[in-house]
Amino acid sequence: MRGALTLMLRRREMDLWLSGGLLGLIALVTLVGPWLWPLDPLEADLLSSFSPPLSSSGDAWHPLGTDQLGRDLLARLLEGGRLSVAIVLCAGVISLVIGTTVGMLAGYFGGWVDALIMRLVDIQLAIPFILLILLLVSVIGPGIGNLVAVLGLTGWAIYARVARARTLELRELEYMEATKALGLPLYRTLLRHLLPNLFGAQLVLLTLDLPRLVVLEASVGFLGMGIQPPAPTLGNLIGEGRSYLLVADWLVIWPGVLIAALVVGCNFFGDALARRYRIRPR
Amino acid sequence: MSARYVVHRLLQSLLVMLGVTVVVFYALHLGGDPAALMLPPEASFEEIAAFRHAMGFDRPLWVQYIDYLSRLMQGDFGVSLRFQRPVLELIVERLPATLLLALAALSWSTLLGFFLGVVAALRPGSAIDFFARCIALMGQALPVFWLGLVLILLFSLHWRLLPTGGYGELRHLILPAVALGAYYMSAVTRLVRDSLIDALGQDYVRTARAKGLSEWRVIRRHALRNALIPVVTVQAMEFAALLGGALITEVIFSWPGIGRLAVQAIQNRDLPLVQVIVLFAAAVFVLVNLLVDLLYALLNPRIRL
Repeated sequence: MRGALTLMLRRREMDLWLSGGLLGLIALVTLVGPWLWPLDPLEADLLSSFSPPLSSSGDAWHPLGTDQLGRDLLARLLEGGRLSVAIVLCAGVISLVIGTTVGMLAGYFGGWVDALIMRLVDIQLAIPFILLILLLVSVIGPGIGNLVAVLGLTGWAIYARVARARTLELRELEYMEATKALGLPLYRTLLRHLLPNLFGAQLVLLTLDLPRLVVLEASVGFLGMGIQPPAPTLGNLIGEGRSYLLVADWLVIWPGVLIAALVVGCNFFGDALARRYRIRPR
Repeated sequence: MSARYVVHRLLQSLLVMLGVTVVVFYALHLGGDPAALMLPPEASFEEIAAFRHAMGFDRPLWVQYIDYLSRLMQGDFGVSLRFQRPVLELIVERLPATLLLALAALSWSTLLGFFLGVVAALRPGSAIDFFARCIALMGQALPVFWLGLVLILLFSLHWRLLPTGGYGELRHLILPAVALGAYYMSAVTRLVRDSLIDALGQDYVRTARAKGLSEWRVIRRHALRNALIPVVTVQAMEFAALLGGALITEVIFSWPGIGRLAVQAIQNRDLPLVQVIVLFAAAVFVLVNLLVDLLYALLNPRIRL
């Protein structure tokens, strides 16, 4: 056991295991949360409102304390974490698919297709994400589906840029010439021969892009423009708790700790993956 | 720097801004009926129809877009529905506050980030390096609204050192500038560190050392100069994140700037105002990136497009 540990340390893959473990733990806990922790995140109990967390002489039934309606913060955090993680993951995958497709097309065809797509990338990146997302959400309305769509459709540009750069390199290789000589159809060239060679880098990019999405989703929720209460998300928990900062600071602190853990976990994991597979995604 | 490159880059920026006007224009029509969207929910059917006609929403979309663009070109940015005043006036009024906040955040974060980055890069793996990386990590991981609230909790509510919000004096500026700059600072630290470590491993640094130059001179004249090029480029990219962060920071600290105006406008469904703020933010971003690119071409003779 001790030998394995030193070996891991020596291989410098501690960061990979630790961050992967942290992310896995968060995923597991938020996934099975409702079975782990029996309290209902929406059930109000006014008699025990603003019960402090266990760390400051609180009640063992509410280890992280309760909010203004006496709802259990731990249960709300588990539920909110699950909603936020689900939204962010779906949105990230949408961005990944759109961006990779568009980037491959730009790099493969070059010429005006490339010029057009890269100007679209510039336009997308010129508008601060949060402003564009707030504008779109205020037009089409909040709700899980809309939020996923808006976050997903506004985040593709980085993936396109990286996929294009990699395609430009791969396009010059001999095996790509061979696919041309064989007369393979375009979709086959792109999906079977190009995609497998850049997909790893795109996945690492997704890991490194998730923190941006986590913070964006939380910011939108914090401003009250995301998923509407009573359903908790990491952002709207902080937004609601803000009004009670002086009486119940735990309502703001704990959701922030979970956000920070997610962001740190993703950053470390992405960097560790990039190092291990010798990918330079940024 | 050739004139052709400058013209090329200018045209490109104009094209991007044109694209942003398309996005901003069509975003309004995504929900179907912009007239119903802008009026309060209790508006009657007749009121909505009259408003739709008055705003010209009953014309074909491309006609509306051409009209919108030609008005923008003439400097007519429209009137805010809520304030009933020209949008441009509202923005110009709040611009100094946002500029002040952004400059304060930018300057402290760039200075400190640069310092930490250089110190960490000179002794990679040391305690100072570890410390710098921890700070960088924290700055990136903590969302600006959470950091802002924790700062308020500690410095305003518990220790009563600084006000929770407001505008006008230096003590009002400190907390928002710290909250807003934290992310930027960590980005600068990380970039400078990685870039300088990279530069220090290059052959020309070995050559400079072999010439017998002092270590200080090697770093300052040879390594740092080259290390700063990617830093400047990426910093310009991160500028959009700073603009986005300013929006949240202003809301938390009741800072009377453009970001808070934007959030109020979105909550009031004052969409003409929101449109112009988005255009404005994009214009600032495009301009900063244009300037950085031109500066970059001026500094680096290898770039000749």
